[in-house]
Amino acid sequence: MFTHNLKYSLKILFKNKTLIFWTFAFPIILGVFFYLAFSNIEKTETFSSIPIAVIENDTWNNSLTYKETIKVLSDKNNEDRIFKTTYIKTEKEGQKLLNEDNIVGYLIIDDTPKIIIKKNGTSETIFKQVIDEIQEKEKTIENLVQIEISKNKEENIEMIYNQVITKVMNLSIEENIKDVSSSKLSYVVIEYYTLIAMSCLYSGTLAMCMVNKCLANMSSNGKRVSVSSISKGKLILGSLISSYIAAIIGLALLLIFTTLILKVDFGSHFALIILLSLVGTLSGLSLGTFTSVICKSNENTKIGIIIAITMLGCFLSGMMGITMKYIIDKNVPIINKINPASMITDGFYSLYYYEGLERYIFNIISLLIFSFILLFISYLNLRRQSYDSI
Amino acid sequence: MKKIVEVKELTKEYKNLKAVNNLSFEVEKGEILGLLGPNGSGKSTTINCILALLNYQKGLIKIFDKPMTPEAYDIKRKIGVIFQDVAVFDELNVYDNIDYFCGLYVSDKQTRKKYVNDAIKLVGLEDFEKFLPKQLSGGLLRRLNIACGIAHKPELIILDEPTVAVDPQSRNNILSGIKKLRDTGATIIYTTHYMEEVEILCDRIIILDKGSVIAQGTIDELKRLAKIEEKVTVEVTDLEEKYVHKISTFKNVESVSYTGTLLLITYKKGKNNLLELMDYLKSEGIKYNKIFSERPSLNDVFLELTGKELRD
Repeated sequence: MFTHNLKYSLKILFKNKTLIFWTFAFPIILGVFFYLAFSNIEKTETFSSIPIAVIENDTWNNSLTYKETIKVLSDKNNEDRIFKTTYIKTEKEGQKLLNEDNIVGYLIIDDTPKIIIKKNGTSETIFKQVIDEIQEKEKTIENLVQIEISKNKEENIEMIYNQVITKVMNLSIEENIKDVSSSKLSYVVIEYYTLIAMSCLYSGTLAMCMVNKCLANMSSNGKRVSVSSISKGKLILGSLISSYIAAIIGLALLLIFTTLILKVDFGSHFALIILLSLVGTLSGLSLGTFTSVICKSNENTKIGIIIAITMLGCFLSGMMGITMKYIIDKNVPIINKINPASMITDGFYSLYYYEGLERYIFNIISLLIFSFILLFISYLNLRRQSYDSI
Repeated sequence: MKKIVEVKELTKEYKNLKAVNNLSFEVEKGEILGLLGPNGSGKSTTINCILALLNYQKGLIKIFDKPMTPEAYDIKRKIGVIFQDVAVFDELNVYDNIDYFCGLYVSDKQTRKKYVNDAIKLVGLEDFEKFLPKQLSGGLLRRLNIACGIAHKPELIILDEPTVAVDPQSRNNILSGIKKLRDTGATIIYTTHYMEEVEILCDRIIILDKGSVIAQGTIDELKRLAKIEEKVTVEVTDLEEKYVHKISTFKNVESVSYTGTLLLITYKKGKNNLLELMDYLKSEGIKYNKIFSERPSLNDVFLELTGKELRD
């Protein structure tokens, strides 16, 4: 009877066009939209070097910090170089280059560094930010260089400057964006993480619909199966397993589609990605079961509730803008601690960006605890066999 | 006779409303018991309590001589239920719906296949096996609903208003199907507010109102409760008041009413009432279209006992 129930539960699920759309088609459609919307963003945002000029006066020649830093940041061999620097002798030359739009600005080092720009823009801002950064780090760099020189007296001073500047500037970047990752940051990939999280949580609608069909106080079909000779536990278990299988198939299709067709790079930990997806789907399933058991409204309202929770969770975990995740993490971290979408997204994120698995495991455990709590509360409610009213 | 269902002093309350009040009755093997009453009289609540779907405050329910509980799966295995609302899966076709519900009771595939085909034949859905529920008319859908409830060949069948909103053809089909089920030895509890149905089907009837039994017995026993013995209806136009008054003075007449073109006369008792009336109409030169006599219906019994119509 259990396999009979399981077989028909799957049949019912796969023939329900609405559920199939939301579980299978909608995430893929959204994935295509993401692809169309974001595929060019990273290409167009590929950083092109900012043309600047530097006046080589005496102060410049004596200021090794500025000289070496600009040199490092303008290194042709560095694919991430920030500046394309032209070295000039006079302000007149600089003004000419500026007027002809060959550069965004030029730098004069006197007592203090001075930047001459023609207008305000992104490139001009970056130019100013970097010079401010150098000014801010100048003393640190000088101190570190002195220490290094005292340690390695035979070494080339320029080389020491070069090493120290690289170290300090990299450290500065890490501090600013708090990235200790092993990979390059791609916020488009994070959008796809939230898409997978959404797909995992949409399994809740499947579970909700199937559990509803087993409850006498929720549907006429529920009444009929409740008076049958199969136990409620077996009925609900069969329904949940079928929902889980259907959700996993939907998720597999999404992963295959995004990796093979849209060429999204989810990193190399494929087994761990699958594990996180399975646990994430379990959390979606528990959310659906919980909603089905706790809410005494009709099926459409419950579907609305699950979709609303899922979309809100995905929004807070960065689906509609990655900064949202950081804002929540910074201001109300508890929300992302109890938001399953955020746990799933963060699990993928940690897998992709970090060497260790601690954060990944933490998210897996959090999801399991989340699922267990919801399923346990649902179980306590489902134990009841008779109702006061139906 | 073996008792299949025993309900003793069943009381079910919803907050301030007593839906079922101290209800007791028994159903014997092989009989069709009709639970008759207007909407809200407690028929469905009684059924839901019998099936252990609803908690109740007081009472004892035994089925097949065992107390009925939500976990009494051995009892449930022998019960088939057809609820008032159609309970089928929109995603499954006719055959699969019946097979699914039958499979909740019968695990052997070969047996189940035979049972499903028998059920399809019983309700006359042979030509619609591959149809989805949405492709069926209201009447066919009701038939499918019945097939899903009885496919596992239960010994006790409970039908809760199975013919609501059904066309006459499907209703006849459903009623003849229920008779066939009784002929196979099944015991049936049939709830309805259509008195014609219980008159056709039921061996014994319980009339419910506001959760209480107001009368029970066979059809003849119940009809004897009515004060009237005969009803005569005459279709006549422009009948003057003086004739109506004269008829009301006839021997045995209980009441006379003339509404539109219908003259309705009820008689307390007596024979030849119809002949006497026809003679009078002829003597007065009153022409009429139709005239017919009938025995009191269960509605008259209900009216007599409660002062209101069954379908109010």
